[in-house]
Amino acid sequence: MEETIKVGDYIIVQRQNYTKLHKLKGHGTILLGSFNIEMDNCIGERYFDTFQIKNVPNSKRNYTLEKIENLSLVSSNLNVEESGNDNRNIEADDNNQTMSSEEINKMKDEELSSNNIVEKLISNSKTFSTKTGFSQEKYIKKKSKKYCEYIQIRRPSIRLMAQMFYRQDPAKILGIRIDDLSQILTYSNIQSEGTHVLYDSGTSGLMSAALMETIGPNTTGKLIHMHPGNECQKVAFLAMEYPEEQRKRCINVNLYSVLRQFYQGNPGEGDSIEPNEQSSNAENQVTEEPDAKRRKVERPNWQVDNEEACELLKKGVHSIVITAKEHPVNIVDALEPFLLPSRNLVVFSTFKEPLEELYFHLKTKLNYLAVKLSTNFMRNYQVLPERTHPEVNMTNGGYLLTGIKIEQ
Amino acid sequence: MSFNGYKDLIVEGESVILYLTINQFYILEAKTTTLSKKGVVVQNIFQTPYGSLACGDLIGKKYGTKIQLKKGWAYILQPTPEFWTELLPHRTQIIYTPDISMILLCLELKPTSIVIESGTGSGSLSHAIIRKIKPSGHLYTFDFHETRVDIARNEFKEHGLSQYVTVQTRDVCTDGFGKDLEGKADSVFLDLPQPWLAATFTSQVFKRGGGRLCSFSPCVEQVQKMCSALTNLGYQEIQTMEVLQSQFAIQKKKMSILNLDMLKTSNNKETVKNEKEFSNFITSVAPNTLPGHTGYLTLLLFHQHM
Ligand SMILES: C[S@@+](CC[C@H](N)C(=O)[O-])C[C@H]1O[C@@H](n2cnc3c(N)ncnc32)[C@H](O)[C@@H]1O
Repeated sequence: MEETIKVGDYIIVQRQNYTKLHKLKGHGTILLGSFNIEMDNCIGERYFDTFQIKNVPNSKRNYTLEKIENLSLVSSNLNVEESGNDNRNIEADDNNQTMSSEEINKMKDEELSSNNIVEKLISNSKTFSTKTGFSQEKYIKKKSKKYCEYIQIRRPSIRLMAQMFYRQDPAKILGIRIDDLSQILTYSNIQSEGTHVLYDSGTSGLMSAALMETIGPNTTGKLIHMHPGNECQKVAFLAMEYPEEQRKRCINVNLYSVLRQFYQGNPGEGDSIEPNEQSSNAENQVTEEPDAKRRKVERPNWQVDNEEACELLKKGVHSIVITAKEHPVNIVDALEPFLLPSRNLVVFSTFKEPLEELYFHLKTKLNYLAVKLSTNFMRNYQVLPERTHPEVNMTNGGYLLTGIKIEQ
Repeated sequence: MSFNGYKDLIVEGESVILYLTINQFYILEAKTTTLSKKGVVVQNIFQTPYGSLACGDLIGKKYGTKIQLKKGWAYILQPTPEFWTELLPHRTQIIYTPDISMILLCLELKPTSIVIESGTGSGSLSHAIIRKIKPSGHLYTFDFHETRVDIARNEFKEHGLSQYVTVQTRDVCTDGFGKDLEGKADSVFLDLPQPWLAATFTSQVFKRGGGRLCSFSPCVEQVQKMCSALTNLGYQEIQTMEVLQSQFAIQKKKMSILNLDMLKTSNNKETVKNEKEFSNFITSVAPNTLPGHTGYLTLLLFHQHM
């Protein structure tokens, strides 16, 4: 993989624990918290490099990047002397800090590295030395978070994006937590070969990206990615920058339109307008301009894709994954006839109840065995000498229903 | 061959899942004959609660179809790494699918990845790794227990996976992973009692640019030792987590509704008895006992500029 950061790359900008996906443009800016940052200085540098966010002189809100050559300055721990035994003498009041916020801001403008800022804050804090070692560390963490002005640039990966979207807003990926995603990928038994079907009503492209990564470059596997709108969500898919041959094996089709084509054949003459059953979510969309002249002679792209998908569906598919906002029963009914015997169905939902209904539907109306409904408990840990414990906050995942198709 | 890709029909010699119920499923070989304990060629008969099965009869049958046994039906399925994890003959403690899934995703494995694993153990994780990295990737797996190595190597062969995996006998804590693998790996996975001893050899094996490491340990003391060892070796972005799965039993329930309003008036005592009302509902019940701990997954990044 190319190591140099180039214009046009999708990058992940990481500031402390916060990450953001960004498409790098020449003379572009990114908004990170209160920082409006000009990104040009990272172009030509390498992935994993660390940059300091520096104030542009004479401008309050604009910042620029400066590459950090000596990383040890950033990660070096602050040396803290004197810590109290416990917190009994500390009062909870805001006056413990003797520096005013103007002074602190001024310090920031003077381009002090954030470690310096935190050190200054410590030496001007009346209570710091009376805090216990543990609370001192907490204080440092809190303050360096506030004043830390370093970012690192990473190349997107499925893992990073799954964590990023979930942290930003689980709704962006239908509440699919990373452990849910990991299990969707194993229980579907998806491999580098075969044809696979995904119905995804909107995970910012994360699901199609993850399945296409599993299918891999220069393999024979194909993905029929069905979506409810005019265009599928695809930021995460684009961010993975798969080679063209791999990208092409992900066939994006509208669920209604492909099923209509499958059962009713090609739409008649003059009928060739993409059906608009459901307007899609406006976010994250790249709309293709229909070329009026070519349209007359050639079939539109969506129709070519539909035909290719229908050909594959006729032969049967090797896995079906459904990550839907809508009730899963009808979707399963419509798609599962394409699933080959001995192949796996995986349905994710943020809610348990629709999957309970689907469970009985699969057991009584359809031919499935090993039908299971599960959920996960996932916990992250802080591991430090003498201070290992589960992290203070936990999250909720969703529910997975899995089953294996059989032939009666 | 039956673990490699998707197959329609059962070919002689393949492993096949025989599925009776959610708690009764088995793995057997579609072979007409087999060797008895005394080394004599005998007919390959598999005993099930529904009667015996002549395994040779499965050859040519379609995966996913029903077969008749004396006392009931069974289904024949193509094996998957998930089935294998549940059915393999245990030589060691093994890693189960919820942890395996997380390991595969967090090591960022793809069909081109070069992966190093130790110890091989019972090969539970190895099968899932191989599915994820074939056809262009490769798994190098090490165990210092000669017999386990032999059994695993043989299983990979029977499962049609030999071309994607190299199994070697080696004490990775004293001898590392060998000269040949220096600068070759994308990812390293360790499931060892003292992973920090092997950790010292890991930084050499990564491709230029670095890679990812995951260590699985049941005890928190192991995790602590491992984390400080890896930090000293220059690993970054330490993340430790645990994943536990619970499966629900989904049930249709019926609850009687008592009509107590009737008691407020003195007449029609009979209707109180006769008019029983019910509420029907679906519910999922978590099992009484469920996995409370498997192990801690520690994930790290090793990075160096090219
Ligand atoms: C718990 S088992 C691994 C199970 C495996 N992950 C699985 O899912 O089947 C641990 C294995 O590590 C092996 N082992 C322990 N110390 C070792 C060492 N120093 N070098 C190589 N293998 C070692 C043991 O022989 C044992 O088979």
